Amino acid sequence: MSKAILTDITKCIGCLKCVSACKKENKLESDVPRIWQKNDGLSAENWTSIIKKPDNHYIRKQCRHCLEPACVEVCPVGALHKTETGAVVYDKNKCLGCRYCMMACPYGIPRYDWDEPVPYVRKCILCYDRLKNNQQPACTEICPEQATIFGERDELIKLAHQRIKDNPDKYIDKVWGEFEVGGTSVLYLSDIDLGCLSYQTKLGTKPLPQTTAPAMKSVPYAFVGMGGAMLGLNWIIRRRNTLGKTEEEKKEPTDE
Amino acid sequence: MNRVQNTKLVLWLITGLAAAVGLYRFIYGLGVTTNLTDVTPWGFWIGFDVMAGVALAGGGFVITAIFYMMKKDEFHHLVKPAVLTAFLGYLAVIFGLMFDLGLPWNIWHMMIFWNPHSPLFEVGWCVMLYTTVLLLEFSPVALEKFESYAKIRNFLMRFRFVFVLLGIMLSTLHQSSLGSLFLIMPFRLHPLWYSNILPIMFFVSAIALGLMMVSFESHVSHWLYRRKPETKLVAKLGKAAIWVLGIYFLVKMIDIVISGEFAMIFDGSWESGLFIAEILISIIIPMVIFSTPHLRIKTGWQTLGSFLVIFGMIFNRINVGGFTMLRATGDSYIPAWTEITISFGVVSVVALVFLFVIEKFNIWQTSPENPEALPFTRPSFDYSSRVWLGTPGVASVTKYSLAFMLTFAIGVAVLPGRQLEGKGIEKIRAEKARGEAILFVDGNRDGYGVSFNHQAHIDSLGYRDSCTVCHHMNVPLDKNSGCQECHKYMYSESNVFNHDWHSSKIGADIVCGTCHLNGEVRSKQTAKKCLECHTDMLTKPDEISLENLIAVSYTDAMHIQCVSCHNEKAASVPDKQGLAECASCHETVPPEHLNELLKWYDQTPSYNRVILPLEKSDKKNEKSL
Repeated sequence: MSKAILTDITKCIGCLKCVSACKKENKLESDVPRIWQKNDGLSAENWTSIIKKPDNHYIRKQCRHCLEPACVEVCPVGALHKTETGAVVYDKNKCLGCRYCMMACPYGIPRYDWDEPVPYVRKCILCYDRLKNNQQPACTEICPEQATIFGERDELIKLAHQRIKDNPDKYIDKVWGEFEVGGTSVLYLSDIDLGCLSYQTKLGTKPLPQTTAPAMKSVPYAFVGMGGAMLGLNWIIRRRNTLGKTEEEKKEPTDE
Repeated sequence: MNRVQNTKLVLWLITGLAAAVGLYRFIYGLGVTTNLTDVTPWGFWIGFDVMAGVALAGGGFVITAIFYMMKKDEFHHLVKPAVLTAFLGYLAVIFGLMFDLGLPWNIWHMMIFWNPHSPLFEVGWCVMLYTTVLLLEFSPVALEKFESYAKIRNFLMRFRFVFVLLGIMLSTLHQSSLGSLFLIMPFRLHPLWYSNILPIMFFVSAIALGLMMVSFESHVSHWLYRRKPETKLVAKLGKAAIWVLGIYFLVKMIDIVISGEFAMIFDGSWESGLFIAEILISIIIPMVIFSTPHLRIKTGWQTLGSFLVIFGMIFNRINVGGFTMLRATGDSYIPAWTEITISFGVVSVVALVFLFVIEKFNIWQTSPENPEALPFTRPSFDYSSRVWLGTPGVASVTKYSLAFMLTFAIGVAVLPGRQLEGKGIEKIRAEKARGEAILFVDGNRDGYGVSFNHQAHIDSLGYRDSCTVCHHMNVPLDKNSGCQECHKYMYSESNVFNHDWHSSKIGADIVCGTCHLNGEVRSKQTAKKCLECHTDMLTKPDEISLENLIAVSYTDAMHIQCVSCHNEKAASVPDKQGLAECASCHETVPPEHLNELLKWYDQTPSYNRVILPLEKSDKKNEKSL
C-alpha cells in the first residue's frame, strides 16, 4: 500500500494554502531568511514551498519520498527509514548529526537546524501521523484546486497518464517521479520542465543506492582478501629468508 | 633547543584561539560559527579533518606492512613514530568530528543502531576498531617505562603480529570506503573527480600518502630536535612511492579516458585548472623528484617531494569532499576563519601530544634531550615585565599557559560581533510602503504584503488628530515619518541613534560634553535624553521609551502596531471579531488591482518570501517525528 502525492503544475494557483497547512500540522515556527538557506523557500521551518516560475507557473517543492531513498541508504545509524505507507520518516533520537543525508539527496531536500546548539534534520514526513490514522496529508487535504492530490501510487500514475492522454497538447508527456532515481512517491505533471527541482536535469532511472551497493558488497572480500594477501606475502618472504639461511645446511624446508 | 620551544609556543597560541572558537560553536550552533549552508552541509571540517586526516594517518598501516609483513628490517626506526602518528591521527579525526557533528554526544549510536548499507557506518566502525588496534599496537611502547605492567606488555607483544595484520585489513577497508562515501553523489560531484572506482583511487593514494607522511614526519621531527635525518631510508620510501604514484596516475587516467571525460581536463573551466594543478602537485612533480637519482638522496628534496604529495592529496580530498560540488549546487562556500581555526587547533593539540610522547617515551632509539630540563641553564628573565621566570622548565610552562590564555581571550573578544548580527538572519532593508489612499505594505517587496487602506483608517480613527496613533515617532526635521525610517530591516533590529554622525565634524558636530555631562561615566544611560534637544520627535512620549535606542524589526513593528490595535477593536466593537485574524490583513493571493505594482516580482529571490504560521506553535521539540 504505497501511497503517493500527485501535483499537477498546470492546476496550481500559488495560493500557498498547502504551505500554511504544513506549518500548522507539523507545528513549524515562523521563519525569516537566513544566510544558510537555499533559494527555494525550503528551510528547517518550511517543509514545502512554492517556487514561482514565469507565466503563472507555481511549482510545489517538497520531499520526494523516493522508493529507494539515498538518504535512508547512507544514514549510518538508520535514523531515516522508508515506511510501508511510502513516507520517509526521521527518528531524531537516533540521529548523530553527520548530515550525510543532506549530501546524498539528489533533490537537496533535508534541511538543518543551523541556529540550534542541539540541531536536527528537518524535512517533509508526508504527515506520517495522519497517514497512520488513515487521513491524507494536510497539504493535499487543503488544496482548493485539487492541484496536489493523495492516493495509491499505482492509481495516481494511471490517472496522470490518463490526463496526459486527454490533453496531449497541455502536458509534457512525462510523469516526473515515475521512474527517475528508481521512482518517487511524490509525482508531478507539468507543462514546463521541472529540472529545477533537482541538482541536475537528467537524474536517470538508476536508484542511487545501487551506486554504493557494489562497493559495500565487496567490503568483506576486500577485508579477507587483504588479510590473505598479507599473510601469503609474509609466508613467501619468511620462507625465502629461511631458505636463504639454510641453503648450505641442505635441510628439508619445513611446512609452515 | 629554541626550535622546539618556539614550535610549541605557536601550537599553544593556535590551540588557545581554537578553544575559544570551539566554545562558541557549541553555544551558538553551527550556523553562525561556520559558512556551512543547506546545500553545502559538509565543508572544510569533513574535507580536511576527516578525509585528509584519515589519509594522513595512513603511514601507520603502510610502514607496519613493510616492516612486519615484508620483513624489511631496516625500517625498524620508522615503525614506532609511524604507529604513534597513526594513533594520534585517528584520535584527531574523532576529536575533529566532535565539532562537525551536530549531535556529537550521540556518536556512540553507531554501535547500537546499525545500518550496514551505509559507507559511513562502515568507515565509523573501522575507525573505532582501528583506533583500538592502534592503541594495542602502541601501548607496549608506553608500558615499557613501568615494570609493574610487564606482564600485560608481554601479553600484548605476543599478539603484535595479529594486531598489525588486523590493522592493515581495517585500513584497507576504511581508506577505500572514504571514497565510497561519495559514490552516491554523482549529481553533485564534478565528473573529473567522480568515478565508480573512487574507493580504489582512495586506497592507492592513501598508500602513497602514507609513505610520504612517514618520510616528511621523520625529517621534520629530526630537524626539530637537531638529529641526523634518515635520508637513506627515506630515499627507499621515495623509490616505492614512484611505483604507487605511477599506479595511481594510470588508474586515474584510464578511468577518465574510459568514461569519456578526457576532453574535460582541457576545457578551460576552473575545475579543469584545479584538476591539472592537483595532478601536477600530488603526482607528477614528486615523481620527477624521486626518480632523479641525485635529487632522491638529498634531504631537502625529499622533504619537498613528500610535502608536495601530502599537500596534493589533502587538496584532492578537499576537492572530492565538496569543493568541486559548487558548480552543481550553485553555492559559493568558502570556509569561515572559525572553521579553519578549529581544524588547525585540532592539529595543534595532536602535535603537542606527539611532541610530549616523543620526549617522554622511547619512540626513537635514543630519546631526544628534553629542552626544558637542561641542567646548567640559567633562569630566564622577562624584560618587559621585569620578572624572573625561573628555570626553563618552569618558564616554558608559564609561557605556554600565557600564550593559550592570550589567544583564548582574543578569540572571545573577536567572536561576539559575529553573533550579535543575529542568528544568521539576512539583513533585508525594509522598503517604504507604496500608494496613496491605499498603501501596499510590503517591506521586502516579495508581493506578499498587506494592502492597507490608509484613508479608511484615518477616517475611522478620527481624522487628522489620529496620525499619532500609528506614527509614534518622527525622524528629526520630519513629520509622520514612515515606519521603515527606524525599523530599517525586515527581520533584524536596528539602531535608531547614530552616535558617530552626531559627533562627527561633517555630521552634527556636537562636542561630547553637550550630551555627556561632566562627572559621569560616559554611557547611554548617563547621556542627555534625545528629547531634550529633539523636542518634537516623539508623538507619544509616554508610550515610547528610547532607553536602549533599538528599533525592532519591520515585521515585528507592523505586527505589534497593527495586531495590538486590531485585537483591542475585536474585543470591544461588536461585529468586528474578524479583525483579530491574520486574514483580516493578509490576503493569500495579491489582489488584482496590485498587479502593476508587482512587476519586479519575478526578479525577487523567493527566499525572501516568508510565510507566517497560522498559529504560534508552543513547543519546538514536537516538531519532528
